[in-house]
Amino acid sequence: MPTPDHIIASQPASRGAKRLQLAPLALCAPLLLLLLALLVWPLAHLLQQSLLLSEAPASGLTLHNFREIVLVPRYRDALLWSLELSLAVAAGSTLICLAPAWLFTRYSFPGKRLMRGILTLPMTFAGMIVGFLMIILLGRAGFIPQLLERLTGQPLLSGAGYRFPGLILAYLYFEIPRATLTLESALAKLDARLEQAARSLGANHRQVFFWVVLPVIRPALISTFAVTFSVSLGSFGVLLVLSLRHFSLLPLEIFTQYLAPPTDQGLASAMSLALLVVAFGTGYGLRRLARRMEGARA
Amino acid sequence: MPSKTGFVFCLTLTLILMAVILLPLLVVVLGSCVNASWLGLSSDLWSGSRHDIFDFSAFSYLFQNYGDWALFSLELALGCVAICLLVAVPAGYALARHPFPGSVLVEELVLLPLSLPGITLSMALLAAYGELRGPLLVLGGHLLYTIPFMLRVVTATLRSFDVGRLESAARSLGASFSQRLFMVILPNLRHAMMVGSLLVFAVSWGEFNVSFLLNRGRPQTFPAVLYDTYTNQSIQISSAATTIFLAIVIPAVIAIQWLGGREAADLEQGA
Repeated sequence: MPTPDHIIASQPASRGAKRLQLAPLALCAPLLLLLLALLVWPLAHLLQQSLLLSEAPASGLTLHNFREIVLVPRYRDALLWSLELSLAVAAGSTLICLAPAWLFTRYSFPGKRLMRGILTLPMTFAGMIVGFLMIILLGRAGFIPQLLERLTGQPLLSGAGYRFPGLILAYLYFEIPRATLTLESALAKLDARLEQAARSLGANHRQVFFWVVLPVIRPALISTFAVTFSVSLGSFGVLLVLSLRHFSLLPLEIFTQYLAPPTDQGLASAMSLALLVVAFGTGYGLRRLARRMEGARA
Repeated sequence: MPSKTGFVFCLTLTLILMAVILLPLLVVVLGSCVNASWLGLSSDLWSGSRHDIFDFSAFSYLFQNYGDWALFSLELALGCVAICLLVAVPAGYALARHPFPGSVLVEELVLLPLSLPGITLSMALLAAYGELRGPLLVLGGHLLYTIPFMLRVVTATLRSFDVGRLESAARSLGASFSQRLFMVILPNLRHAMMVGSLLVFAVSWGEFNVSFLLNRGRPQTFPAVLYDTYTNQSIQISSAATTIFLAIVIPAVIAIQWLGGREAADLEQGA
């Protein structure tokens, strides 16, 4: 049984500790409320909507909408195309952007800041803008086809922007900044003395790259791949502008499903969640893998 | 010593990438105001029937027809900046300086939207608040994607130097909380708040995926002007709209780069 003295003695300390706990929570409260209202609550609604039949919401929870994505060829193809395109773009941009990232971290030369600035420009371009840039560059009245026609007299590459390679080029366009910056911050942490040691032991450039640099930067490559993959998977602006025939992507299917009647809310919700699971799951898994590899090395 | 062949190889590839990025931008900016035939482009798709070298008619057309859309987008971006400052700066201070059980989770939750597809989040917002579809919901969507940037810049700054010591030094000298807030904490955060505001502004100005679905009727955000002109107008008008977009976003990106290269890396995950 605590005496009154104990209570008096312990009170100031415990109240002080309590205040320390409450003040930061109070500072975070507006942010937490916003997150609850804008993220948690809406996602819960989306999940509920995806588990109900649009025609008969009262008939109880069902996985019908999710089954539909896999069974209806149109949606299945859109999902597969999305995966393929994102894989190609993520792999491509990770490999290509190694060059600028390496250049910016290992060498100093005049104009470096400007070059870095230019490469990061497309960061805030919506996919749609990049789609338009592709039309300008490689569309039917595009700059490059017209230039080539002038030079050779033949309509070369006309409308190339509307085909699959054009789509990949467009996606690479807006992944360049992300891939370069992610790789750059990883390469900056890499100890250049490792390479020097290998060089002094007689390894040539290729050996240094494949046996010293590559194993060390593998986690960075994986996390860059993860970032670019998730971003590509969710993007549909390019296709919205280019509108390729006989070709679709999952986010575009959601978009049209929602805007063009008759809308199937349940199906659109299920597709949105499928997209979220694939994009977030892959990104999260790969980032964890990268972190584990980094941990194993250290 | 890094190798010379490696340098030449990386430089060549980087220059090619730069050309790929700059060439279409150059064509768009020139195409918006220079007569297409003077650029060596012969197509009725490109421009009207004017024969002057410079032709700014597309810009006046855009200002007349879409001026209110651009204004709406600017207001929205500034609103996001204001709310982010009010909500994310105090929270960032608490998370960085006085972590509490679960504070790591809060931080992860704030950053979560950056790795979720925009279309999923807009569908979720519509599922929960479908009847609110309009400017208010657009603001909500933008906040989801802009708060993470402000929070990251603020927490990174607070963790990179010892505010704690500065603060307790001020306290030992008799400074009250409000004095410490206005004379120690906020001045040290000024730079971070500036970079954060620019990031928030640029992200909100360029956002399309969320805004388009969440909005209804007029006015739409500026990227929706782009969508409208791309699908309904001539290439010249589309180019002019794109040029206006770039004229706002490029200075913002340059300012971010100029103010702090490190914080600019924070853009890396934004969609």
